Amino acid sequence: MKGFERLNPLSAALYYLCVLGLSMFSMNPLMLVISLFCAVLTCIADGTVKARGHLFALILFIVAAVLNPLIVHKGATVLFYLNDRPFTMEAAVYGVTAAVMLTAALYWLRSLSRVFTADKVMYLFGRISPKLALLISMTLRYVGLFKYRFRRIRDAQRALGLYDDGNLIDAVRGNARVLSILITWTLENGIVTAESMEGRGYGSGRRTSYAPYRLHGTDAVFMLLTALLTAIAVAGTAHTSAVFYPELNFDLLNPWGIAGTAAFSLLSLLPLILNAKEAIRWRILSSKV
Amino acid sequence: MAYLELEGLSFTYPEAAQPALTDISLQIERGELVALLGATGSGKSTLLRLLKPELRQNGTIQGEVMLDGRSVDSLSSRESAGIGYVAQNPDEQLVTDKVWHELAFTLENLGSPREQIARRIAETSAFFDIDSLYSRDTATLSGGQKQLINLAAVMTADPELLLLDEPTAQLDPIAATRFIETVCRLNRELGLTVIVSEHRTEELFSLCDRVIVLEHGAVIYNVKPHEIAERISSDSPYLSFLPAATRLFRLTGSRGEVPLSIREGQRYVSALKPMNRAACDESKPAQGEPALELKNVYFRYERNGADILFDLSLSVNSGEIFALLGSNGAGKSTAAAVAAGLRKPLSGSVKLFGKRLKDYRDGSLYRGNLSLLPQDVESLFLCETVHEELKGCEEVLKNFPYDLSRLYDRHPYDLSGGERQLVALCKALSTRPRVLLMDEPSKGLDGGMKRMLIELIKAFKAKGMTVVLISHDVEFAAMCADRCALFAQGGIAAVDTAERFFSDNRFYTTAASRMTRLIADGAYTVERAAQMLGGNV
Amino acid sequence: MMVIQSPRLRSFLRYAIPFALIPALVAVSALLFEGQRYLIISLGIAVLALVLFTAGVERRNIGSRRMVITAIMTALAVFGRFIPLFKPITAICVLTAIYLGAEAGFLCGSLSVLISNIYFGQGPWTPFQMLGFGLIGLIAGYLSRPLMRSKLLLSLYGALAGAGYSFIMDIWTVLWYAGRFDPALYGTSIVSALPFTLLYTVSNVIFLLLLRRPVGNKLRRIKLKYGV
Ligand SMILES: Nc1ncnc2c1ncn2[C@@H]1O[C@H](COP(=O)(O)OP(=O)(O)OP(=O)(O)O)[C@@H](O)[C@H]1O
Ligand SMILES: Nc1ncnc2c1ncn2[C@@H]1O[C@H](COP(=O)(O)OP(=O)(O)OP(=O)(O)O)[C@@H](O)[C@H]1O
Ligand SMILES: [Mg+2]
Ligand SMILES: [Mg+2]
Repeated sequence: MKGFERLNPLSAALYYLCVLGLSMFSMNPLMLVISLFCAVLTCIADGTVKARGHLFALILFIVAAVLNPLIVHKGATVLFYLNDRPFTMEAAVYGVTAAVMLTAALYWLRSLSRVFTADKVMYLFGRISPKLALLISMTLRYVGLFKYRFRRIRDAQRALGLYDDGNLIDAVRGNARVLSILITWTLENGIVTAESMEGRGYGSGRRTSYAPYRLHGTDAVFMLLTALLTAIAVAGTAHTSAVFYPELNFDLLNPWGIAGTAAFSLLSLLPLILNAKEAIRWRILSSKV
Repeated sequence: MAYLELEGLSFTYPEAAQPALTDISLQIERGELVALLGATGSGKSTLLRLLKPELRQNGTIQGEVMLDGRSVDSLSSRESAGIGYVAQNPDEQLVTDKVWHELAFTLENLGSPREQIARRIAETSAFFDIDSLYSRDTATLSGGQKQLINLAAVMTADPELLLLDEPTAQLDPIAATRFIETVCRLNRELGLTVIVSEHRTEELFSLCDRVIVLEHGAVIYNVKPHEIAERISSDSPYLSFLPAATRLFRLTGSRGEVPLSIREGQRYVSALKPMNRAACDESKPAQGEPALELKNVYFRYERNGADILFDLSLSVNSGEIFALLGSNGAGKSTAAAVAAGLRKPLSGSVKLFGKRLKDYRDGSLYRGNLSLLPQDVESLFLCETVHEELKGCEEVLKNFPYDLSRLYDRHPYDLSGGERQLVALCKALSTRPRVLLMDEPSKGLDGGMKRMLIELIKAFKAKGMTVVLISHDVEFAAMCADRCALFAQGGIAAVDTAERFFSDNRFYTTAASRMTRLIADGAYTVERAAQMLGGNV
Repeated sequence: MMVIQSPRLRSFLRYAIPFALIPALVAVSALLFEGQRYLIISLGIAVLALVLFTAGVERRNIGSRRMVITAIMTALAVFGRFIPLFKPITAICVLTAIYLGAEAGFLCGSLSVLISNIYFGQGPWTPFQMLGFGLIGLIAGYLSRPLMRSKLLLSLYGALAGAGYSFIMDIWTVLWYAGRFDPALYGTSIVSALPFTLLYTVSNVIFLLLLRRPVGNKLRRIKLKYGV
């Protein structure tokens, strides 16, 4: 596991909340481009998104960019007419900006989904409600069990000559039968699980929620840094403006705007920096030996 | 005053004609290891469940259970979490998805702070040597590992009393021995009081302090292990509860001190005069055509996963009973699925009666040629009553030695484990197969039912059917198989006639064989040993 | 590495983050990012609703049997989401709610979304989806009597749930993309999503009718047998 993924899930949650929030809700084109760039870099460095994922992102980008000027006809600068409808520059620029925002969000979300494994999701919920955390954990166990049992039941049924995927109707009937057996089997045996829970003190009082994560000093530093950078970026956003209609009017590069953009860039690069730091330290350590 | 006291305890299930337990009075001292034996339905599980308030089922109770001078009813649910309970099915007792969470679960419920939980987990996993499993998904563990996690999870709450209900029923012989030894260590090293109900008594008998035998809900023996060995005679139905050494001793009709363990058995046997092995009828394996043939089969579940079957070659002759043994998770069930054409091998060929499986068109493979009794018989049950379930099995039922008609109105899940097994067997037989694969057919059966199953399998053989058994139950395999194979590393490590297989193996063999190895070669069941050593059989 | 030692600081951080920080962030950003105000406020409300519901669940005592059955049904809904095109998730939530009550229905709906999104990808839509499916379950739980009795009402509920859910989620898509509510874009998105909406609606009804008897019977038997 790399440096960023090893952080406490709370740190990671705060981080994604900030980065995603800024990328999704500020319509500052400069920040959005930086966000997209860093997000793509992060995903490539992690190997989160493969070639097909990039292709999908590209298609999404093109569709989102083209959609707005085709439907929205506001804006002062008409480029040309399409079916007697004006195609304006302002709408086109907005479309591209929105597309950058969507694509950046998509990449950040891919990165988030990779970092937030089931364990970490459960940990976060455990902070709010230990009972919910338990329910999530139990559900996850059953999901795993279902996948395994579904095949087993289908095999057993086929060996009786009952399951035949010769045609569609048979296949649907066969699957329905398998599903029915799966549900009965699991529900009926659930009582043993419930007994095992009670036998181990479930319901005897207030639960705590244990997770093999701790809040380290690093987390505190990381969270503070994230909060600080976000605050600067938010302040920067507040002092910049990007007006699209009726005419483009961007005011992005005032001192506050520059500071905010710089802070946001640093924020977007944090996972890469954290992982790179680890790699470099590892190099140094192993070269000393 | 004893640690655990039962005074005149009776229990009746609702709508039951007779009580499941009648007037049980017992005293168990702190630190005792007690074995609880009895036939199916004798009330073992019922008794164990009465000792822990959360596990009590609806019904009428009379009498008292006192723990450390207090009635168990008055225990708070916190205190009662200090009574550990592990049951038969390793899968269903797991609650969460990760091993670490399973270990933390009890303490979470008790509201322990994080530091304490971390320490207990560390300590417990060191004791049970399960550190390497810490972050695994519980679903991916082998049966033995799961059961060990169940025990470890119960131990994190630091219980004083441990109740185990057939905890080794699904484990391979080596994992089962290890489990029992771990329990014994807990008893010896931590002074834990343990009550364990078991069908597999081989190791337990020489380790426990006391044996309690139930019959129809009443205690009929409550004595030290060697005393019970002395009291049970060779024609008693309880003979099958005794370890092999004692059974052999009884069947050879000897006097003197009763042997309990393998070591004592060896000492006893070495005093006997070795017999001519010709005195025993040699079983001849069928030399028919190969019925089922696997050649160089490779198989894996996931593209990048490990090979589960690795260069597996196997040939089963028609008309023989072939047994496949091996540890939990070795891949026996996988091999059965491949042999039955349910999974396609990565490479290699599978033939049935000389014909490739894929040449059986239009499902003819599963009609009249091959059938599989799966390990989880639940995967066969679709209907809401046994009667509906057994539609189309009338032919089979006519010649079935066990009367299932009295179960017709029950829901399949309301049957006992053994009864479920029989209903499933009927379904598997309904396609009138020439080759029958049976995955763990003897689980959940007590001695009597097991003997009936062996007769049934032998009758199949007499009718020309080929039977492939997969079993953890070494004694069961020894009693019915013609040839045996040991499954390891994804392939067959050894195939031999049952006699040579069990005589040559050191660990994966019957107690009788281990005991008589030096004296009577080939005495791999107690009955044969008794015959060869000149007993009264 | 240093672990934060003071238990008070730790427990402060633990509760401060979910309860204070998220709403605070929502409020601050709603004030600052003017164009996206509706979006942020709606997201904040969704999260808050979920947190409040969770707090309610936490305080109540849910028996172990009910927990197990809820977990099984939720897992079934998650498992159902892996079936391409047809997704029985609504049907399963509704049936769970009818037989096990509104709370179980809400939990089944919202958790199955949360958990399946671990595989399908989390996003800002997660809270909305959670709330949406949760409410579908919750309301079905309150209407359990009539829904259990009448096949017609059940189908109607399934159809309404399917269509309503799609239409509401589309509003959010438009808000996100255009920064405000744009009827033209909304129309486009509804039209382009129509085949899917139709598919969901029809499959909801089909699944409800298909699963009503078998799943219902099983749940009823379990309730009787285990006294849930
Ligand atoms: N839930 C129940 N309702 C009614 N009768 C029951 C129930 N459970 C068990 N019994 C009956 O009570 C008796 C004792 O059952 P119990 O399960 O204690 O036996 P056991 O000794 O544990 O058997 P096994 O070795 O098969 O586990 C049996 O006759 C059984 O049919
Ligand atoms: N559907 C599956 N997907 C992935 N892995 C599987 C699957 N089924 C089994 N395995 C793995 O394959 C291995 C062999 O499993 P299998 O069930 O064949 O063992 P077995 O010898 O029958 O064990 P047991 O004696 O406990 O029944 C195990 O490690 C198991 O985890
Ligand atoms: Mg029992
Ligand atoms: Mg198996």
